[in-house]
Amino acid sequence: MSESMLSHRIYYVWKRNLVSYRRFAIPSFIASLGEPILYLIAMGIGMGSYMGLVDGMPYLNFLAPGLLVSTSMFSATYECTFGAFVRMKIEKVYNALIVTPLTVEEVVAGEILWGMTRSMLSGFIMLGVLLAFGIPNWKSFLLMPLLWVAVGFFFSSLAIIVTSFAPHFDFFTYYLELYIMPMFFFSGIFFPLDRMPAAVKVISHFMPLTYAVRVSRSFIYGNADWSVLLNLAALIIAGLFIFYWAMHRMKKRLIK
Amino acid sequence: MMNDGILIDIESLVKKYGNLTAVDGISFAVRKGECMGILGPNGAGKTTTVKIIQCISPSDGGTVSVFGLPAGLSQRAVKAQLGVVPQENDLDPDLTIRENMELFGALFDMPKKTVRERVNANLKFVELYERANDKIVSLSGGMKRRLLVARALLNEPKVMILDEPTTGLDPQARHMIWQRLRSLKSKGVTMVLNTQYMEEAEQLCDRLLIMHKGRILKEGAPDELIKNEVGEEVVEIRNHEVKGILEKLGGLEFMHEEVGDTLYLYCRESRDILTRLAGFGSLSVLRRPATLEDVFLRLTGRGLNE
Repeated sequence: MSESMLSHRIYYVWKRNLVSYRRFAIPSFIASLGEPILYLIAMGIGMGSYMGLVDGMPYLNFLAPGLLVSTSMFSATYECTFGAFVRMKIEKVYNALIVTPLTVEEVVAGEILWGMTRSMLSGFIMLGVLLAFGIPNWKSFLLMPLLWVAVGFFFSSLAIIVTSFAPHFDFFTYYLELYIMPMFFFSGIFFPLDRMPAAVKVISHFMPLTYAVRVSRSFIYGNADWSVLLNLAALIIAGLFIFYWAMHRMKKRLIK
Repeated sequence: MMNDGILIDIESLVKKYGNLTAVDGISFAVRKGECMGILGPNGAGKTTTVKIIQCISPSDGGTVSVFGLPAGLSQRAVKAQLGVVPQENDLDPDLTIRENMELFGALFDMPKKTVRERVNANLKFVELYERANDKIVSLSGGMKRRLLVARALLNEPKVMILDEPTTGLDPQARHMIWQRLRSLKSKGVTMVLNTQYMEEAEQLCDRLLIMHKGRILKEGAPDELIKNEVGEEVVEIRNHEVKGILEKLGGLEFMHEEVGDTLYLYCRESRDILTRLAGFGSLSVLRRPATLEDVFLRLTGRGLNE
């Protein structure tokens, strides 16, 4: 893949999505935030009140860093599965774009950049919610945008690959139910992984969200070290591979 | 290299989808200022051919040169100078008419001011200026087509590619599109027009390719094609014993074709034929001028293309 396949034109694709999003901003906001807030209240406050300290902190505080990245993962995932599928298959946006000087690679990169934007946005809103719950401390949040970029990049790219195979909407149910949801529950958001059976621990290594949750927790509670950097790097490098594959896959789907 | 005002030059183009050969070794050229029509039934290979010209589909053989550049997926310079009206409406339903136009114009790296001016001018040209802030869903089929034409003109293309621009439209909407396209033609815009409507081809095209099953069957100006392939007049005779009629017409100059219940006689002048048939008793006879449809059906067969 030559470098000239990507250019500043990525921005036009992103801009198109922004203009379109402004119209649906409020409903899509509520949809993407409802779930994590629900978990925060039901699990964090509801269940948390029956639990002692987890990893030396109240359950709500244990939960918060994980939800801060899972909301970001969900946004990127919905945007680049259902959202991208509508644009590709129903609205024919991709067809209109590739007739102009844009390449398929730029269309894909623009979609992923938009997925990252959505994922960043959800992260910030969740952050606002957590601050309202009084979870400390705002300084540790300075590093979070970096993590949202990595999470958004990885999961947007992965979602585009899924979309490139999707014959219809139902296809995404498999991806969400069989991959995203299990990852949500077994990536160390809801309970520490070190007390889990060996099998769960092994599986969790193949779940990219695990790395992100680990990084998030150490960012939030200020105990970041070199191993955290490795986790973040792993996520970004894996993201790059997935990104290239996503461009390749979409080209196969669109160019006949 | 570009010469003699040839903007598109295609030599032995082949395109396959798996086992299906969609385009089977076609060659033709499009010159500056002309409207080249590609006439053919569904599945003839018209859309495939223009997609390769548009640099959004790779070919499997032959050469395609557009504006002197080889066509290919990464050929931005070609895409930047083409204006495309696609077969399938791909206007952005999330955006207003103006937003559609402005975002599309930006894709060609034009300054904002230029985009705004051209959007206004082109919306006026297709008589949609008053609707600029409406949503796409509020437009009729004909208005959407007109908007696609306006959108395709934003980059002031060297060549416009129109893929069945009036398919599915009612007669009023179709004539409105034809008017706009004729007006563009008179301004010297070069066009490649895919169509399955004979009338559209006759109204707009200077030259025609008749395409069938991936091959070009005939090429020429519409009136030339009619004259050379079927002559001037057609006599249709329904429900009669063919052999008897042909015997009766022995010695006269005509071509004939029998399809279903109808016998078609193609000739330069039908008077002699009609005189002889007059003595034949009660016949259902229709005499009419030859049309492009006769040429088309003679070449591609009167059977169904399914």
